[in-house]
Amino acid sequence: MQGPLIEILARQGITRRTFMKYCATLASLMALPPSAGRAMAEAMAAAGVATKRPSVIWLPFQECTGCTESITRSHSPTLESLIFDVVSLDYQETLMAAAGHQAEEALHNAMKAGGYLLIVDGSIPLGLDGAYSCIAGRSNLELLKEAASGAAAIVAMGSCAAFGGLPHAKPNPTGAVSVSDVVKDKPIVNIPGCPPIPVVITGVLAHFLTFGSLPELDKHGRPKAFYGETIHDRCYRRPFYDQGKFAKTFDDEGARNGWCLFELGCKGPVTYNACATVKWNGGTSWPVESGHGCLGCSEPDFWDAGGFYKALSTPANPLKMASAAVAAGAVAGVAVSFANRGKKRAAASAHETTTLADLEK
Amino acid sequence: MPLDAIPILAVPQGLHSDERSGNAPALLREIAEMLRRFLANGETSAIDLHALPLTPADLEWLREQLGGGEIAITLNAEGESSLNETACPGVWWVTHRNPNGAVDSEFIEVADVPDLVKAHHEDVVIGLDHLELLISDLSKQRAF
Ligand code: SF4
Ligand code: SF4
Repeated sequence: MQGPLIEILARQGITRRTFMKYCATLASLMALPPSAGRAMAEAMAAAGVATKRPSVIWLPFQECTGCTESITRSHSPTLESLIFDVVSLDYQETLMAAAGHQAEEALHNAMKAGGYLLIVDGSIPLGLDGAYSCIAGRSNLELLKEAASGAAAIVAMGSCAAFGGLPHAKPNPTGAVSVSDVVKDKPIVNIPGCPPIPVVITGVLAHFLTFGSLPELDKHGRPKAFYGETIHDRCYRRPFYDQGKFAKTFDDEGARNGWCLFELGCKGPVTYNACATVKWNGGTSWPVESGHGCLGCSEPDFWDAGGFYKALSTPANPLKMASAAVAAGAVAGVAVSFANRGKKRAAASAHETTTLADLEK
Repeated sequence: MPLDAIPILAVPQGLHSDERSGNAPALLREIAEMLRRFLANGETSAIDLHALPLTPADLEWLREQLGGGEIAITLNAEGESSLNETACPGVWWVTHRNPNGAVDSEFIEVADVPDLVKAHHEDVVIGLDHLELLISDLSKQRAF
């Protein structure tokens, strides 16, 4: 195992064994056989010795840079961000040192060569001929079409690029759409999340570099290795859900005892993501562990799903909110109206400083 | 504010996980099979313990059955890893932890020594360079 990556890592004080350990864990997270960890380490370290490093173009469109933050600031020095050193990151506005014409030239040179991996974060606004978001005087739509034509594959990073995200939320003033709404003729991997978990993007890159292919995807174009199970499937509060022990407010006895957050609007049962196992901030914790329900951020349209603090109507009915069922006079809302009644009672008998209605405002 | 003043109880991980699932005994047979292959043709192999439906109680049971061996290796690389030989020579229990001490991944490896333990030749070359530098410094000092 030799090559520029190992040298770059060594310069950052990261040893070969650290890297091998990282790859072993990465393979485990991706549900690949243990031998794949070794193969990944070899392939990533060797990339570049052969001929040239695989080229990556990263285009930020209508976005908040949260996804870039997630990947580059996970821990320090972050192996996730260093993995990008194995590839030749030819264009990334936030990370690149070059600016202005120099930067645009790097982009054009990389695009001329073709066969690159294109990473997109942010949605693409179609309104006003794309005038809502431009880079160097050209619309996101125009740039995406041009960059996609020479790409080997596209990674739509974050819920905005994957599903339209917050810019797409009703009434969608800029006419924002996802990458897959625009590009129809290239393999696209969606890595949703607001933001996505850093190791997921490294996993996809490692897979691409090691096996020369993209990992297996689900019906929303997400890698099954990370989005194969719901938050609820792997939630450590699940035994309480199964016993029917629910927190009714954020400060009641149940909340203090760490009971299930379903009635406080947890979207874990319909949300496919790896938070419950991989966790956040270097494995420190994750939303449910710190006492808040899952928002469903890796699912299409989670932003318009009716309210973060409203209980799901039925776990099997994706993102159908309790209030919608009740408003429509649906009979199916029995369990839910029970849940909501319980909530009201609990709020009344507990104390009233912050109510769920306040949180919904 | 001290942590225990916050009125939220963190529920310990592995709640209700004190029951055994019954999946662990099968693993003993698989490890035996791996050892036979290792003896026959030197083939090393590994089991990813997180890829299997095992409860903490299962892991505890398995660890007890395999027992502790003579060698325990600690690797300090972005968190501590332990690579411990079990009472069955050639069977290693490998645990990788992150800098916060949380277990990242856990494997059973069948090998003379786990790959990770071996020094890589490229690194040996770097070590040799370093040593030669030290020696040349020493001889320079003697010249004065
Ligand atoms: S509803 Fe939410 S808090 Fe409850 S078990 Fe499922 S994921 Fe965990
Ligand atoms: S817990 Fe849910 S809302 Fe929070 S980051 Fe994970 S998937 Fe997104």
